[in-house]
Amino acid sequence: MKNQINKEYLDPVGKSVPRIDGKGIVTGQTKYAFDLNFANMLIGKMIRSPHPHAKIISIDTSKAEALPGVRAVITAKDTDEIKFGSNEFFFPHTIDQMALESEKVRYVGDEIGAVAAVDEETALEALKLIDVKYEVLPHVVDVQEAMKPTAPQIHDSLNNIAVIFPVNFGNSDRALKEADYVREDLFFTPAAHQAAMEPHVCVAQWEKHTNKITLWASSQAPFKCRETLAKTLKMDLNNIRVIKMAVGGGFGGKLEMLPMDFSACLLSKKAGGLPVKICYNREEEFLASRRKHGIIYKLKSGVKKDGTIAAITGEVIADGGAYCSYGPTVLAAAIMRIFMVYKIQHLRVTGYRVYTNTPISGAMRGFGGVQAGFAIESHMDMLAEGIGMDPVEFRLKNITTPNMTTINKLIISTNGLKECIERATETAGWSKKRGKQKHLHRGMGIGIAGDVMGSKMYKSHESAGSIVKVEEDGSVYLFTGAADTGQGSDTALSQIACQELGVSYSRIKCKAGDTEITPFDTGSFASRVTFITGNATILGARDAKMQILEVVAKEHGLNIDNLDIKTEQVINTEDDSAIMNFDEAVELSYSFNYGKQIIGRGSYNPKTTPIDFRTGEGNVSGSYGFEAQIAEVEVNTDTGDITILKMWDAHDIGKAINPQSVEGQIEGSLAMGIGYTFMENLRFDKKGRPANGNFANYRLPRSVGTPPIESILIETNDPQGPFGAKGMGEASLLPTSAAIANAIYDAIGIRLKSLPFTPDKVIEALKKKKQQEKKDEA
Amino acid sequence: MTILTINNKEYSLELKGHETLLEVLRDHLGLTGTKTACDDSECGACTVIINGKSVLSCITLARDVEGDKITTIEGLADGEELHPIQKSFVDTGAVQCGFCMPGMIMSAKALLDKNTDPSQEEIKQALDGNLCRCAGYLKIFEAVEQAGKEMRNEKSN
Repeated sequence: MKNQINKEYLDPVGKSVPRIDGKGIVTGQTKYAFDLNFANMLIGKMIRSPHPHAKIISIDTSKAEALPGVRAVITAKDTDEIKFGSNEFFFPHTIDQMALESEKVRYVGDEIGAVAAVDEETALEALKLIDVKYEVLPHVVDVQEAMKPTAPQIHDSLNNIAVIFPVNFGNSDRALKEADYVREDLFFTPAAHQAAMEPHVCVAQWEKHTNKITLWASSQAPFKCRETLAKTLKMDLNNIRVIKMAVGGGFGGKLEMLPMDFSACLLSKKAGGLPVKICYNREEEFLASRRKHGIIYKLKSGVKKDGTIAAITGEVIADGGAYCSYGPTVLAAAIMRIFMVYKIQHLRVTGYRVYTNTPISGAMRGFGGVQAGFAIESHMDMLAEGIGMDPVEFRLKNITTPNMTTINKLIISTNGLKECIERATETAGWSKKRGKQKHLHRGMGIGIAGDVMGSKMYKSHESAGSIVKVEEDGSVYLFTGAADTGQGSDTALSQIACQELGVSYSRIKCKAGDTEITPFDTGSFASRVTFITGNATILGARDAKMQILEVVAKEHGLNIDNLDIKTEQVINTEDDSAIMNFDEAVELSYSFNYGKQIIGRGSYNPKTTPIDFRTGEGNVSGSYGFEAQIAEVEVNTDTGDITILKMWDAHDIGKAINPQSVEGQIEGSLAMGIGYTFMENLRFDKKGRPANGNFANYRLPRSVGTPPIESILIETNDPQGPFGAKGMGEASLLPTSAAIANAIYDAIGIRLKSLPFTPDKVIEALKKKKQQEKKDEA
Repeated sequence: MTILTINNKEYSLELKGHETLLEVLRDHLGLTGTKTACDDSECGACTVIINGKSVLSCITLARDVEGDKITTIEGLADGEELHPIQKSFVDTGAVQCGFCMPGMIMSAKALLDKNTDPSQEEIKQALDGNLCRCAGYLKIFEAVEQAGKEMRNEKSN
């Protein structure tokens, strides 16, 4: 280690050390897949269906192939026609998408082929020369229409309901009868888009003589991408190398292999091994990546006078679009998250995931929990009001507690939810403000949420691995399969490795997400990386440390059990005396007498039980995270405009590995939640095409209008978590819409049940309220 | 032949005429720090500075900026020494995925070069054309304020 050791970075866990990739990013040096340019690189374009639903009669590619500059054209005929999907382990029948469709197209944009040419202009010209004959079929865009028996049949199944997920515990009918107050509510949440700043992009190259493929990808889950490529291309895992480049945001949209990834590989092969790059433009991004499910939530629940929830019943209808993608688990999460938060004995909610001839719904940050959070947390406020109870008191009465097993067998160990609620309400001034600012049209609302850290969604295991390598000069490498998509996992994992190894964070470099050289990891989803990969990283660093200590023990005739490395010193733990510094110990390992390489390895699989998707039972996560969020709003009753004055987010994150990153996740989640509450609404036209699929018409939160946010970090030090940490990348988004809705109700007494909250909805609701008041007076 | 002055360096280019500055930077010169995210003048990821003003390179024809002083993200740091804005964006944790960052930093620079002590409202206005999907803007505002402070200190020294 020739560079000076930075003493500020000793014991890095718990410190806001700078991002490991920060300097590269702010200088423009960091390479995203988008930035890759190779010699002789071809540009690929997808051949897409112009129809929402049609049979493919024939595809004539001859004119396109004859166009000068075109190097390859592929259709389903060039493939093995193997279907893929994302819930193979639990829902094998939902494996329903072909890398290139051969018989039918199911939405405008559906992929039936691809071209590769010397430049983009030629590739686009070639697309015009593809002659496809279709037999157009009737189509259906609306999810409730699609559920009818008379609706056009989108897949070869009994109907368009791809998944029914019934969750039923206790005796809800009896419990509702015994309840003191029962109410029914209907909520609508729209489709939305991840809208990562970097669109989907990949570069693929096939090696002619070794039949090996390399894919440079913008992926949240490079190992899952490899698995799907291997399956659909019929290749061995070790003949496909997926290299995750810097990823310009994912938010669930980059969890799966898309037909573009598959096509780039196949086009490269057909073009004799020339590299092929496919970049989505923003329009394609909205049309043919993945989107958030629009969900209809019907709830009927009852409470007792003392505030105890008697039963929750209902239906969840999720608009799935043309294929299943991660839909089944999104649907499950849209129901199951409630068990983490509320102690419930009686619940009967049935979920339906329905095909429509629209862009494919998949994972988006929060996995159904955002839609559910809005519905349930609004509904809970209304139940509390029905019995005249303060919404905070109501929640405190019903929330889950530490060290409990829920009715569906979630094993909750640490649980800071009560503290989250108390700290959030105290900091926000709940008792002083709630219900007391109506004259100013101001109000305050609360929402709470729970989160998993991992969920075994697509495999029977959810392991992560790590390799921690100490070089001869004492510099350190962490190899991890985890995919940093901007959340800062490379930084957090490096902090964890250095903490365990007992060295400064300035020693480490991180190599992540390369399927040929890093250990396996299922990817960045379900807020799992800090928790699961963090644990794997501790084990790898500990292994490396033990290798060093073994040499020191031997050299000095000491008992290895009494040795440790802390703050750059090898110490005797009996009296904390320093034996030698880290550099000396490493030098000893690599010395003439020992010559021992220091390569630590770790593997971790959380202690969970898979969910039984017939019942909803199972302990899905190794630990659970919690939070309480409060919004304070002011409504302009003339214009319908709503201003968020401030938001507070108290979050049980176990332990903040990097407090600044944790705050960044909270603030970013809230911004996304605020966007979904007020402006984000991906609409579809009569043919199921995005009606506002660009940044001019799909509005995202911008800097003007960003409200102040106060993060309150609650550290419950989870015994399962790495240094006590829990995952936390998603939960802050879940209660945002409801906290705002509840605040609006407090301010002006209107209840908005359909997102997003546009000014016209506010004005309409105010009109209705006035009419109702007049009627009541009369 | 078109001669462009980028980061104090002159580049001679054979252009067809319709190329945007963004295309030229990324595809012809390999200056990939400037990003394409919407290609439709809505997101600000392609922001560069031309003659002191922040400009969207996706809607600027390269031939129209011949003779102008163009600065991209690659032209900010002095060797290993980061520009105060770059440093503050790292130090405050404003950076997440980073894809919007080059554009965001260039918009911040155009603001701070004129006024090192902007109000919070002026910062918000100056950055309103730059979309960020990760960070929720608050740490970005903090970064701009901190950089302004540092730039003021540098001036007074």
